[in-house]
Amino acid sequence: MTTTAPATTQKKDKPLGQSQFSVAWQQFRKNRLAQAGGLMLILLYVMAIFAPFIAPDALSSYSTSNITRFHPPTPIQFRDPDTGAFTRPYVFKYTQQLNMDTFVNEFKPSAERCPLYFGVRGASYKILGLFPGNLHLFGTNKEDCSVYLFGGEDLGRDLFTRTLYASQISLTIGFGAVLITTLIGLMMGAMAAYFGGIVDTVIMRLVEVLAAIPYLFLLLLLRSVFPRDINPILALYVILGILAFIGWGGLARVTRGQLLSVREQDFVSAAKSLGASDNRIMWRHMLPTLTTYVIVTTSLAIPSFILLESGLSFLGIGAVEPYASWGSLLKAAQDGGLSSLNTRPWVLIPGFFIVFTVMCFQLLGDGLRDAFDPRKRA
Amino acid sequence: MIPFLLRRLVQSIPTLFLASILIFFVIQLAPGDFLTPAKLNPNISPEQLAALQSNFGLDRHPIEQYFLWMKNMLFNFDLGLSFSYQQPVLDVIKPRIANSMYLVLLSTLLFYAIAIPIGVFGAVRQNSLGDKTINVILYFLLGFPSFFLALIVIYFILQIRSATGLDIPINGMTSNGFDSMTPIQKFLDIAKHLLIPAIILAVSDAAGLTRVIRGQMLEVMRSDYIRTARAKGVSERTAIWKHTFRNAILPIVAGIGGLLPGAVAGAGFIEVVFAYPGITPMILDALNAQDLYLIAGFTVITTVLLVIGNALSDILLAVVDPRIKVG
Repeated sequence: MTTTAPATTQKKDKPLGQSQFSVAWQQFRKNRLAQAGGLMLILLYVMAIFAPFIAPDALSSYSTSNITRFHPPTPIQFRDPDTGAFTRPYVFKYTQQLNMDTFVNEFKPSAERCPLYFGVRGASYKILGLFPGNLHLFGTNKEDCSVYLFGGEDLGRDLFTRTLYASQISLTIGFGAVLITTLIGLMMGAMAAYFGGIVDTVIMRLVEVLAAIPYLFLLLLLRSVFPRDINPILALYVILGILAFIGWGGLARVTRGQLLSVREQDFVSAAKSLGASDNRIMWRHMLPTLTTYVIVTTSLAIPSFILLESGLSFLGIGAVEPYASWGSLLKAAQDGGLSSLNTRPWVLIPGFFIVFTVMCFQLLGDGLRDAFDPRKRA
Repeated sequence: MIPFLLRRLVQSIPTLFLASILIFFVIQLAPGDFLTPAKLNPNISPEQLAALQSNFGLDRHPIEQYFLWMKNMLFNFDLGLSFSYQQPVLDVIKPRIANSMYLVLLSTLLFYAIAIPIGVFGAVRQNSLGDKTINVILYFLLGFPSFFLALIVIYFILQIRSATGLDIPINGMTSNGFDSMTPIQKFLDIAKHLLIPAIILAVSDAAGLTRVIRGQMLEVMRSDYIRTARAKGVSERTAIWKHTFRNAILPIVAGIGGLLPGAVAGAGFIEVVFAYPGITPMILDALNAQDLYLIAGFTVITTVLLVIGNALSDILLAVVDPRIKVG
């Protein structure tokens, strides 16, 4: 029993974390679910960065001679079918045959085996647009016998590859739009509160008008400003900008309300009498009072923006060919005709990535909210 | 009550006015107009083009066009002419809005029928096995985009169809041969087509509301007046439904105003997946065809309804919560 005594004295020696963030961090450390969510998100982002390396194929490479439209997933085999012994992992080569009764192209595994190798040289890529390479995590080294982990999509491209590449867009656009919208919201709210008068009226009217138009139609309306067949890269920026533009109203209102009360406080008048510029007072003195609120709302807004982006891509006005996002991959799932969806369930896989990402962000956001909320502290 | 309504009306005029300007000029910003594809068509002569242009008023200055549009809208309830349908916008929109409304009304009913009992159950039996299970499922559902949920459901329906041969509709609003049916058959046919999209819509929306109701119920149940009510011996049923529930739903009542424009705006993505002849597919087509007045007219209608809906929910809130005085 006496052995526990030194431990308690040691604890007392440790300085107590007093800042708001260290308290929140301690709370967050207790929340296993939120940590798991955060960890999974880090993994997802790492996966997105190294997508070209992990993917066995290039973003949009498909053969025009050997059309593999809706190629079924090729399960990776570990055992030799004849002897039952473990061998190098391999996939069967699939052959196509037209079924003369149904006139449907059927894929059947043939006896030919294509062994899988690690570190295969293949299509070249640039990670983050900077580091060139052509090494892929795994592959078969054969042109006409590739591995389809998630099957093929309507042009016969590898869905696994496309899903990985799509994660780059799906994970960035939602996140980026929230960051931009938060900045706009803070700036507009701060301006309205600090300057008051006509600036205040104009900004708050704009918020009201934006809130008065149903968001889906506002999105469609704003997208219609740009031609539909613009450069695909530009289309991504357009979607990012539109999402950022429609989301800032709520934050601007809260910021304005909060700052109106802060404006009258002593530290602001002190800064003013010391000759600080408007800009400095706004960003260095007034806005930091909102830090907690902004962290929590931002982390909870990201999932809804990811859902919105996937929705727009699903309608065909978000990410467009050759780029893909999880939403546009689901759109492609629909393009092959809904009534034959049950013959190719693998096209739905990208949707589960959306669900998984959104859930992770929600767990993380809820964890952050609880960590910063004094009432939830145990 | 009437002065309150009048004040709301007056307050909403500038918002509506600014919204209409925003809508109109956003569309003006768009490159090209409805006639751009026609100009590329060699079969249409320049004279015809000029005639079309002056017919639609496209040759005038945008500000002039805006005032013309506003004048027609305010005094004649005329939202302009849809270019691609060659019909007044109102005539094009009306059947679509009606279709969307059937779907949304049914799904709204289901939505409350699902969310309220589950939310109340979760609060009353807090931390029970049932509550925990429901919480996990709802948390999972929150992450599902409605169109993805719809695709999954369609997949399972197709599986059932191919296994049992049951004819479960997954497309459109009516079956083939709808015109030759008797009224009762027609009603049943539409109901059959509506049911599945409505359920999907209700379930995907209900996840959020259920969590709100549960949280609100829990908060109210801890308050002093509920303890007082229990102490004075009211039955459990009254304590929950009359004392707790009525107070817990206040924030939900505040959101009812959003239902009205929601009903008109339609089911969005679900309509697209199920190829339902509602509003959203029409708006997407109109976007492609640069059908200016159709988009503008429709957005104006939903905006007006949103403002009316907000006023309605203020009134409703006053009915439910006697502490709020209207006027």
